[in-house]
Amino acid sequence: MKMVTIVAGVLLVFVFVWERVDVVRLGYEIEGLKTRKVLLERERDQLQVKFSALTAPERIAKVATEKLGLVPAQQGQVLMVHLPGEVPSPLPPSVEQVRLARHDSIRKESE
Amino acid sequence: MTSHPSRVRRYVVLLLLLCGFGAVLFRLVTLQVLQAAELTAKADRQHQKTVSFEGARGTVSDRHGKVLAMNVEVPSVFGVPTSLESPSTVARHLSPVLQIRSDEIVRKLRQDKSFVWLARKVQPEQGHRLAQLSLDGIGVVMEGQRFYPKGPLLAHVLGFSGIDGQGLEGLERRYDLHLHGEKRVTVLQRDALGRTVFPKGLAEQAPAPGHSLTLTVDEVIQYIAEKELEGAVSHSRAKSGTIIVMEPQSGAILAMAVSPRFDPNVVAALTPDRWRNRALTDTYEPGSTMKMIVAAAALEEKVMAPDSMVFGENGQMVVANTTIHDHDKLGWMTFSEVIQKSSNIGAAKTGMALGEQRLYRYLQAFGFGQRTEIDLPGEVSGLLKSPKDWGRRSLASISMGQEVGVTPLQMVSAMATLANGGVMMKPYVVSEVRDQKGRLLKEVRPQVRRRVVSQDTARTMTTILEGVVTNGTGTKAAISGFRVAGKTGTAQKIDSRTGAYSPTQFVGSFVGYVPAESPRLAMIVILDEPQGEAWGGVVAAPVFRRVGEQVLNYLGVSRENTVKIALAMKDH
Repeated sequence: MKMVTIVAGVLLVFVFVWERVDVVRLGYEIEGLKTRKVLLERERDQLQVKFSALTAPERIAKVATEKLGLVPAQQGQVLMVHLPGEVPSPLPPSVEQVRLARHDSIRKESE
Repeated sequence: MTSHPSRVRRYVVLLLLLCGFGAVLFRLVTLQVLQAAELTAKADRQHQKTVSFEGARGTVSDRHGKVLAMNVEVPSVFGVPTSLESPSTVARHLSPVLQIRSDEIVRKLRQDKSFVWLARKVQPEQGHRLAQLSLDGIGVVMEGQRFYPKGPLLAHVLGFSGIDGQGLEGLERRYDLHLHGEKRVTVLQRDALGRTVFPKGLAEQAPAPGHSLTLTVDEVIQYIAEKELEGAVSHSRAKSGTIIVMEPQSGAILAMAVSPRFDPNVVAALTPDRWRNRALTDTYEPGSTMKMIVAAAALEEKVMAPDSMVFGENGQMVVANTTIHDHDKLGWMTFSEVIQKSSNIGAAKTGMALGEQRLYRYLQAFGFGQRTEIDLPGEVSGLLKSPKDWGRRSLASISMGQEVGVTPLQMVSAMATLANGGVMMKPYVVSEVRDQKGRLLKEVRPQVRRRVVSQDTARTMTTILEGVVTNGTGTKAAISGFRVAGKTGTAQKIDSRTGAYSPTQFVGSFVGYVPAESPRLAMIVILDEPQGEAWGGVVAAPVFRRVGEQVLNYLGVSRENTVKIALAMKDH
């Protein structure tokens, strides 16, 4: 009985020590992950700035005209085509409607 | 028995000991009691360091979430002169990386300070190179840098912030309380070598970032407005220009372009004249665009009807010993034609028929002489004198847009009132404020300021203003497939040297809305001192057309003929 108590006591000490060591190890891991998170957030912000700069309308227009040789649509060249039965609403259209109209006009042009 | 000399020695030793202890005690009392407060403060100064932390500034986005201003952490380089042995050697290493002259760095590092900034907010690559050099006494910390990724786009509205992250101009200033991050001051301990001991858990206490703003502005519409304005200013060799595009039903600003532009990322070398938002800080005499206000007032008061006949006095009329001229020698014309042909004499007669008090009341109701209360800093109220200060010619002059100073924002707001059936909306730029977790803190809803004229009057004015574009002075503003309502304006500027109207300096403008039957846009185009032909109908109206057409296409607004096509397709 005494032996069992001693073994159990030693085991408990081992468990306690292992737990403390593991807590410290996890602490380091958490610190490492936090540092990584900060670095990734910083990188995300830098990429966001780059993305915003690259998608600026002024840059897109420049690339479209200078690199791709596109020209702005002239008066009367853009025509909104609505589906049969659909009468354009005088109210501002929803985003979905605008997308549909653009999609239709692209399809019309490709035909 | 002790001998006498030995007793004397003992007393001497005792006396010396007492003196010694007395001296120590005296010093102790001096240090611990008399100089306690002063020395404690001195010790604190040596052992403690107060550091201020600030959360990142909030992001500013357009109505579709496109980022227009945001913070990014970039390295700042500092030196600790007290721990440097050879400032000149360190400076030799730093100079090529920081691109600062070596002697300038040496000068900073020789200062009798424990901390000096060497370069703030440098490029990330420079920070990496410095870290690789690993120089003693030189450190790198990360600081928030404000970036405006679209460059000059919307710069006059966004404004800019200072090196320490405080809003200085535009929205950055107006919404600084929301945008700036939480500020937290922490007292850190320093060890014997003067190194800062960062307490554990400091990172967890990082101050919260600022709130984010969503604008009513659409970056594509803003780009169209800026592109066309730059082109027009350059083509007409004007001093400056302004375009405002507004949603008449809500008062939401879709675009506010000012020329010349500036890049808010690089403002150090610029003067306030360059970043001033002229759309709301500058006043001008509107000239003929004011006639639409006088006309609306006359219709509302039933002083005139669209078909009322007005005699044009063959182009000349004497008022208060001065002569008012018209561009053409006009005879009898309808009231609608007075506006369409932009007759000064017709407008003056209409103003006289209204009378001082009524005209003044309507000018006030349309928002002149008072701020629109837009959420941007620096707005002026313009100039509208009280009738008691009017001269004998004032009634006629004001009716043709003289003796009154308005801002471009006031004028487009007045036009938007007619587009909105006579109801004036409060213009606004920020639609939402959210915290760092995206929770909505403030949502701005369209606000009605007041009803200015009845719906009937607004409808009649639309018909008259459509006539300006189809048959009158604003034909160059016509957009194929859309009904456009608007008014041209050409105002002589006052020569600051003579105090009289200048024969060479003009402001050309066009203000209108489209589609006239169901307006989606109210817009003003102003060109200040265009060279050559300065008529609003020649210099500003074509800009209105170009911007209007592109924006309506972008918004997917149907042309009149689209309806016919849709119906034809249905029939098949």
